[in-house]
Amino acid sequence: MDRNQIAKWFKEPSKMANKYSLHAIYFCTGCGIIEVPPVITARWDAERFGVIPVATPRQANLFLITGYVSVKTLKAIIRTYEQMYEPKYAVAFGSCPINGGMYWDSYNTIKHLDKYIPIDGWIAGCMPRPEAIFVAVTHLWTLIDKGMANGYERYKKYYRAYRRNQELALGKLEWPPLYPIGEHTEGGECD
Amino acid sequence: MVGRILQFVLYPLVALAIGVFFLGLARKITARIQWRYGPPLVQPVIDMIRFFYQKSVSHGPVFAVGLIMSLAGSIVVVLFLPFGSICPLSGSGGLLVVLYVMLLAPMGIALSGGQGANPNISIGISRKLILALGYEVPFLLVLLTVMTHYNTISIVQVVEAQRDIGWSIASLPLFLSGVSYLLILPAMLGFRPFDVSTAPQEISSGPLVEYGGKYLLMATIEHALLLFIDIALFVNLFLGGAGNPITFFVKMLIVFVLVLFIHAAFPRLRIEQAIRYLWKWPTALALAGLIIVTIGRS
Repeated sequence: MDRNQIAKWFKEPSKMANKYSLHAIYFCTGCGIIEVPPVITARWDAERFGVIPVATPRQANLFLITGYVSVKTLKAIIRTYEQMYEPKYAVAFGSCPINGGMYWDSYNTIKHLDKYIPIDGWIAGCMPRPEAIFVAVTHLWTLIDKGMANGYERYKKYYRAYRRNQELALGKLEWPPLYPIGEHTEGGECD
Repeated sequence: MVGRILQFVLYPLVALAIGVFFLGLARKITARIQWRYGPPLVQPVIDMIRFFYQKSVSHGPVFAVGLIMSLAGSIVVVLFLPFGSICPLSGSGGLLVVLYVMLLAPMGIALSGGQGANPNISIGISRKLILALGYEVPFLLVLLTVMTHYNTISIVQVVEAQRDIGWSIASLPLFLSGVSYLLILPAMLGFRPFDVSTAPQEISSGPLVEYGGKYLLMATIEHALLLFIDIALFVNLFLGGAGNPITFFVKMLIVFVLVLFIHAAFPRLRIEQAIRYLWKWPTALALAGLIIVTIGRS
């Protein structure tokens, strides 16, 4: 933390605290789990930047999805994302959540994760090196500073479209809508 | 009169500041022992600011009331503990009040967790209460020994008595009791190897699993105050208290770092292993200490 940031701390304490206290919940769906332990342990110590893994979505504000997303795990991902408290940031790690990656023609994986939950940042690669998480964190800081990491606001605004996409992939959802979706609500298209 | 009111207001804040400093120090020293650089010392403060500004969902009225109850209990206990020369509530029965009101903190968390209705909370609460059953036995024996030896139930008088005859832990009759208190201190603070109730890998941090936002802020404050209470009680009873707050703080710091080394180096015990340990060595030492003191008096 720089000394010349103290003025910013007094001006926007919520934004600065969100930047430097990213409590991460990892959703390791398949590959990518092996890149996370070096990041949080002695090799690349992520706690220097305030990034620390927590065990429950209630305490977290950074959602890291690593590896491919099958239809079955998508349900768990949506529920985890909706349980997190705002402001919350989602980062997809690896090329599979971006466009399907090497599972581009699989019948059972989701190709574009951004259709189902809003993603604030992508880390491309198959698999990215652990350092890529730090690059992502510093980029996320810039986005938070500029107010561009607003995935949770997009989710609220276009919830009707997100919900429709989720129902297209999963069939009828077992849980009630997070935000009210009226018959005549103005909901934009997200894809 | 004004000074007394100022003490009432400022002393819990000082206790909170020391507890939060200890939380940051715990993360930093643990990181250094694990060959990491570690977060800045103010990291808990940054986290607490974020918790304050984050939205949160309540699970019902008792969800908040239980947390407030445990926080209130902790603040009352703090007011009864002498901190150097500062002691706002120096009643004659300080030790007994502390003994009873200390139970409010885990009970409040248990009450609040019950409203959360998460199975991990129930497991965490049951583990916490079983662990409390484990360390309360040697803890009560140790306090009974101290009360019998000094023939008083006032913490202030215990501190004053030590000013003449030296630290209790250095005197023969109370040496075993002091060692016993040190052995159960990690269990009272919820540090490893006794962090069974808030194990993040097994039960998703136990009672804390449904807390987020402002509720997590209150839980963090409660934890910080708990750190202050248990260590300050040890310093008062066994390390002779102190004449001024700075010496007292240095003594607390030394005890805390000692506990922290155990925290950083040991893995977690299972609950029945923890009970077996707590009811064997600390209880045996505390019982031996009580017998020595009783024989010495008669």
